[in-house]
Amino acid sequence: MIPAPEISETKPAEKYFISKKTDVFFNDIYKVYKFIALFFKEAFSAPFEFKEIINQCYEVGYKSLALVSLTGFITGIVFTKQSRPSLANFGASSWLPSLISIAIIRALAPLVTALIAAGKVGSNMGAELGSMKVTEQIDAMEVSATNPFKFLVVTRITAITIMLPILVLYTGFIGMMGAYLNIHQNEQTSLIAFFKSAFGTISFLDIFSSIFKATCYGFTIGVAGCYQGYNAQNGTQGVGRAANSAVVLAMFMIFVEEMVIVQFVNAIR
Amino acid sequence: MMTIKSNRPVIVGMFILLGLAILVVTLFTLGGEKKTFVKSFTLNALFTDVNGLLKGANILYSGVKVGTVKKISLYGNAQVLVTMSIENDAESHIHKNAKAKIGSDGLIGNRIIIIYGGDSTGAEIAKNDFLTVEKAVTTEDMMTTLQANNKNLLEITNGFKSISKKIDSGKGTLATLLNDPSMANKLNGTVDNLQSTVANFKAVSASSKNVLASLQDFSGNLNKPGNSMNALVTDTVIFRNIKSTLAQLEQASNEVTQFTVNLKTTSEKLNQKDNMAGVLLNDPAAASSMKGTLQNLQAASHKLDEDLEALQHNFLLRGFFKKRAKENKIDTIIIK
Repeated sequence: MIPAPEISETKPAEKYFISKKTDVFFNDIYKVYKFIALFFKEAFSAPFEFKEIINQCYEVGYKSLALVSLTGFITGIVFTKQSRPSLANFGASSWLPSLISIAIIRALAPLVTALIAAGKVGSNMGAELGSMKVTEQIDAMEVSATNPFKFLVVTRITAITIMLPILVLYTGFIGMMGAYLNIHQNEQTSLIAFFKSAFGTISFLDIFSSIFKATCYGFTIGVAGCYQGYNAQNGTQGVGRAANSAVVLAMFMIFVEEMVIVQFVNAIR
Repeated sequence: MMTIKSNRPVIVGMFILLGLAILVVTLFTLGGEKKTFVKSFTLNALFTDVNGLLKGANILYSGVKVGTVKKISLYGNAQVLVTMSIENDAESHIHKNAKAKIGSDGLIGNRIIIIYGGDSTGAEIAKNDFLTVEKAVTTEDMMTTLQANNKNLLEITNGFKSISKKIDSGKGTLATLLNDPSMANKLNGTVDNLQSTVANFKAVSASSKNVLASLQDFSGNLNKPGNSMNALVTDTVIFRNIKSTLAQLEQASNEVTQFTVNLKTTSEKLNQKDNMAGVLLNDPAAASSMKGTLQNLQAASHKLDEDLEALQHNFLLRGFFKKRAKENKIDTIIIK
């Protein structure tokens, strides 16, 4: 009797280009690139999912308004209160509106709104798409001749890219009103004098750079949330990981972009 | 549920529209503040130093913002050409003889351009004109002046230092004043004297006050109509009389003076021997001669008296004297 040949338990050694982790990292970058390329391809090709885009705009924009408004208002008040002593030491309390407008419009409004949106919307996208992925709903959509990427991903990314600049405008306005409330209480400055002073130091470039930043942040949050959710694996654990990764990645990328855009804007200022 | 879903596009539309409204209002407010949408013209100024002036900096004319800096560029030999965008409304107010200088928005604020001066003697400014530039006082200039002040302060403090050293070592009057106890006693005495002097002054001033009050009363009375002093002061007739009296007095005094002069001349002549009265008064020989004459006259008159007595008893004249004695006797009886 010929003994059956032994099946080797050890798998053949995998070959990596640099190392496993490095290769995975670069592979992920490539996959993100492919994901973004696919987004642009699908976004500008018919049919367009306008209804779903508006639906997502409602979910992403309108439902976040209360949260970002409250955050912006508190940011305005707190920043004003914290800045006053430093300026008062120089006898320059009248410069508070200028300082606040520069801080809120140039930096705080886009950044705070983006971070809030990353936490609320990015995690929501990651979790929603992740759960749909692990429960094979996305596969079911493909089977039913619906383009899941166009319906789920393109609409979400488009919605957050459009809505975040709008939310930034709200946050900026409400933040400035919060700052005015505090300044009026302490310095009895009138609304007109406050806005005259506030607009005296900012320029069109500041406003357009803020809107541009918000657009970039929105796109980043959308891409991070949708990519993590769309590529979720390993069941419910994968859903949680996708939601978490979406927030962390989005926030990290927001700060990187902030640095790059500020450098770029200062170069052309 | 369906109703809610159908409302979503409306809510999203409103949400976006409101957001865009905030953007539009912001842009227009900013444009109004930056004079972006205002029709403007260009002015130029050549500075040697712009002290960190930035593009977009405000331009003030008589303290009113009239435009912004459009362009800053190096020009010629170490000069800076500043191109300014000025709103058209200000064109008729700025004249060619106006000047430009670099100022500061507050003590530590941004650099701005200040246009000032100019009047109707100069023509109105035109597009692309060059404004006359005046060098403004910069922070560096202030620091230089401060540095000079510091040096002066150092010299002054050094002077004080040497003075205090001298005082401490007991040299000079001031040191004696500070260190000698006898000087302190003298000073105390002086202060006591001063105190008593001041007390006297106080009393004098109180008296003066009373005198002044009396004078005030007197002047009040003078001003009060109806009394003689007031009449004296205010009546023009009396004044005229007094004036004429004074004139007469003056004339009289002149005459008295003339009389005195005459008297003096007379007395001088009396002292001399070239005239009769002078000889009588001054010449002793004449006096003795005069005395002899007088003695002779006395003897002669005695003899004459005796002769006349004899005549009374002469029979030729005796009747006349008897008749006269009788008449005298009758007059005496009548008087009684």
